[in-house]
Amino acid sequence: MIKEKYITNIKEISLNVSQSRIDSVRNKNIEKTGLRVYDNGYIGYAGAIGNYDESDLVNKAIATLDNRISYDFEIEGNKKIHEDYTSEIIDENKMVDELESLLSVLREEQSDFYFSHKFNLTDYSVKLINEKGLDLYYKDKYISLGLIFKEKSSLNIMDGFVGFEGRKYDRTLALKDINHTLNAYKNKVELPNKKTLPVVFDTTEPLPFIKFIHDLDGNNFGSNSSLLSGKRGIKVFNDNFTLYQNNNPNYMPVPFFDAEGVVNKDYNYSLIENGVVLSPYTNKKIARKYNLPLTGSATCEYDGVPTLGIPEFRIRESEKTAKELLAGEMGIFVLMTSGGDFTPEGNFAAPVQLGFLFDGEKFIGRLPELNISSNVFEMFGSSFRGVSKNNTSPLSTSKYLIMDMNVSKI
Amino acid sequence: MFKFPEGLYTDVRIEDVYETKVIYTVGEIEESKVRTYKAAFIRIFDGERWYYNSISNVEDIQAEIDLLSKYANPNERIEENPVVKKFQVNKDELIKFEEDDIKKISIKEKQNLLREYFPLLEEYEFIKHWKAYYVDRKIYKEFYSSKGSSTKFDNQTVGLAIKMQFVEGDKLLSESYQKSSTNVNGLKGKIQEFRPFISKCYDFLINSQPVKPGKYTVILSPLAAGVFAHESFGHKSESDFMIGDETMKKEWAIGKTVGRELLSIVDDGNIDGNGYVPYDDEGTRAEKTYLVKNGLLSGRLHSTTTACYLDEDLTGNARAVNFEYEPIVRMTTTYIEPGNQTKEELFSEVENGIYIDEIKHGSGMSTFTIAPSLAYYIKNGKIAEPVNISVVTGNVMETLNEIDGLSNETEIMSFILGGCGKMEQFPLPVGFGGPYVRVNNLNVQ
Repeated sequence: MIKEKYITNIKEISLNVSQSRIDSVRNKNIEKTGLRVYDNGYIGYAGAIGNYDESDLVNKAIATLDNRISYDFEIEGNKKIHEDYTSEIIDENKMVDELESLLSVLREEQSDFYFSHKFNLTDYSVKLINEKGLDLYYKDKYISLGLIFKEKSSLNIMDGFVGFEGRKYDRTLALKDINHTLNAYKNKVELPNKKTLPVVFDTTEPLPFIKFIHDLDGNNFGSNSSLLSGKRGIKVFNDNFTLYQNNNPNYMPVPFFDAEGVVNKDYNYSLIENGVVLSPYTNKKIARKYNLPLTGSATCEYDGVPTLGIPEFRIRESEKTAKELLAGEMGIFVLMTSGGDFTPEGNFAAPVQLGFLFDGEKFIGRLPELNISSNVFEMFGSSFRGVSKNNTSPLSTSKYLIMDMNVSKI
Repeated sequence: MFKFPEGLYTDVRIEDVYETKVIYTVGEIEESKVRTYKAAFIRIFDGERWYYNSISNVEDIQAEIDLLSKYANPNERIEENPVVKKFQVNKDELIKFEEDDIKKISIKEKQNLLREYFPLLEEYEFIKHWKAYYVDRKIYKEFYSSKGSSTKFDNQTVGLAIKMQFVEGDKLLSESYQKSSTNVNGLKGKIQEFRPFISKCYDFLINSQPVKPGKYTVILSPLAAGVFAHESFGHKSESDFMIGDETMKKEWAIGKTVGRELLSIVDDGNIDGNGYVPYDDEGTRAEKTYLVKNGLLSGRLHSTTTACYLDEDLTGNARAVNFEYEPIVRMTTTYIEPGNQTKEELFSEVENGIYIDEIKHGSGMSTFTIAPSLAYYIKNGKIAEPVNISVVTGNVMETLNEIDGLSNETEIMSFILGGCGKMEQFPLPVGFGGPYVRVNNLNVQ
């Protein structure tokens, strides 16, 4: 029998903003421990929040072997990697004062708006250790400022949001970004009179990726239930489109290993490379079942069995800036959509509640509400322009994703 | 029970949770677990600012209260603070799920509820992949405050869901079958409904065609209507967005006409299911709140803070997704009240429209969106051929005025997997429902 532990810890200070003022301070320090036992091709598991008795947890895990959940795979071992991405971002004791200073500037400089929501400082760690010598540890610390804004004269619940998430904080840069968005918001502009326009997303926006969540799922792919089933090795997207399953913390706060202890070279895995479908995302069970590459996309609840999870996606950036990708055209930057989805055959549509006319460097003005539509094979095929090499903000690691789409006023 | 610090308002919420989750993938067991935990959330208010802490060791509550109180500034007149004055003081114990206690049912019996469906699933070659889920949840919530509140209640929900991937040639469809109840017996004997559901999905798979985009009269099923009510109007009724906002106060004045006279939308935490919250996470008793009554704006949803600032009555809608979060204004069970037409009459009056039967998701702010999974044309008053639709959208306030017909029976339901999301707090269990609802001039793509 092999014992294994999966331990997550989150420490967070969260300041809540309401009506442009701090109204609460929340502290969190929660450790969750999962204990797994592997025996004769089966897995047992148990979990605890906070303090626990180890022998009790082991006994509970052993008892669940009766469920006869098969786990007949090589258990990861003899691997020790510790990665610590933490740094001193801001003095925890000065967070309230810092946010109050930032809000006081906004109350004065952007007095047409109310601000609400969160300023969080998060310490997060994940540890996976077992009796076979596996010792993986990821620790990170990041700050996120997410401010919902609402124009005081507006009849909407909210009009948009500003902020960033990353490992850096600088009040001047944060205010510059916020003012850039809000000043553009106050300048209403018309939608260019063209049916097809370059549409620009922040790469952290999940909407363009939701088709890949379903159609690159190893189960759907392997069982011929995906639009991409049977297309391994075939080019169906743009030459410049490479999609990674990203476990690289340099790009986003994400552990470099999955819940089964799989560590990929460079902490990522190419699912689509230069337009060619290479693999769906898989864990050990799915990879074996459908004879697919193992991409290391297992996830788990702290007290459960490792199972196939949805990975973080990252598109390989181009050698061009957003301005160069737009090549002199004006783009439609999508800040806020209301839903949006794909049909089974890949057709896409979404209403954009807040979009900006974007020249590749700055927002020119606020556009009327509009519809965007396309098809997944066009979005990442003939209509794909690329991901910028430049970041959306000095405080963020996200970039601009640009593709041509049909755009019309609602 | 606890020694609360002087000069501060303090409350403690304790959650004692039991959950089961069983998952089979194409007949093979993937997960079968019972999770139990007891944890707490502590709030302290000094009249200026709130201080929160969530803890997983409930034996430390007193120590955490003492520690947290050090951040606050004691105020000897705290009891005169208008928010503190507004807090209800309730002493009650509402335990109603002891008889059909899910904790007393073996995991094998819970597994067998799913296994009953396997032979049927294996019968159909066009179901290429499937996952079957059984989930249950029992929670005891205790609430204590420095004003003297002491409440305890339980809630229990059970459900099963089968997610299927249908394939025929190059045609694909993802669809889920879901059933929910407050006890295991409520899930038994449902298998006869399953075969027709599969037949419906297969018909959709082979016959559906892309929709011709445009504006249509749309009839929403009770499921779609419930999500529409939740997304389009329910979130707008959460009054935290109104505090201090004079524009919104004027725009959302009680008594304003927001829809036609046939339309009434209700939120009620007293209804069994996911949205059963007899006392909210501030210890406030649940109320039946008309958000819209006969087309007029009639009420909104409140926490104690929002009710205080807007000088309105408490409604029992301060909810947290779990012990890690503070309560914020949320819905409980939100539904549209029935009208006076039969379902058949409602359809018969539509010459060329769309019927939305099942949906993938919905969302809404000034514009709402519903992403249908099973939808059909309506032609000459009858449901006709199936259509693939990405999204159905409309402006919320315009759409409420476009509702011109309701069937005469409301269905209340709960999603088994997922729930309501608001900012960082997801998924909150909620109930929703409605009759069949006819809406004109929706944008279909």
